[in-house]
Amino acid sequence: MKPQVRKKRPFQRRKVCIFCADSGLKINYKDVKTLNHFVTERGKILPRRISGNCARHQRDLTAAIKRARNIALMSFSIVST
Amino acid sequence: MRRYETIFITHPDLSKESLLELQEKLNSIMTSWKGDLIKLDDWGTKKLGYGIRKNTRGHYFLLDYLAAPELVRELERNLRLNDGVLKFQTVKIGDQVSADAAKKLKEEASADKSIKVSDRPSLPGDQLAIESKKEEGELVESEGEKKNETSS
Repeated sequence: MKPQVRKKRPFQRRKVCIFCADSGLKINYKDVKTLNHFVTERGKILPRRISGNCARHQRDLTAAIKRARNIALMSFSIVST
Repeated sequence: MRRYETIFITHPDLSKESLLELQEKLNSIMTSWKGDLIKLDDWGTKKLGYGIRKNTRGHYFLLDYLAAPELVRELERNLRLNDGVLKFQTVKIGDQVSADAAKKLKEEASADKSIKVSDRPSLPGDQLAIESKKEEGELVESEGEKKNETSS
């Protein structure tokens, strides 16, 4: 048995991918309201370690966000004032 | 036949005539290249995520259709030529859509858009967009002299 060396995290993020948990929720690039949950205030895409998405859904999500950006439904960057 | 979806953004102050002209153009492309239009959605004027040609707002349209790739090329060429169109994007949503499926899609599109929206529960904004679309379509008037200067 290996002794536990790693420090425990101060808090636990939700580990379940939202899109896996809720099959009704679809990733669509036209659906900006949903996509907006997965970007930072500055408009950057949230990493998986924060959002807890699974690899597949993170991939789809990234593609969707990039599409939405391309057609100006979302912004590439939001400059803070 | 493949199913495509093209979003294009036109200038927010585009006159009604030039919008109609553009629509006619698209329709003529659809017929001459044997495309099958499922729906043309008018999302109304929306704020853009970033400025495009000094515009902060744009009039969004969604074109949903079945077509061969050649049609898409022709369609995009025409959109590119049109000065009123700020930006466009085509996405393929389905490969090899059969005629029956197409019919079904058409019926759905014409029958109930509202049900499609309510499929996704957390989006009241979408519903608003569809409702406001009817009013917004009538808003753009005046400025008849902003017609397409290109179409060369």
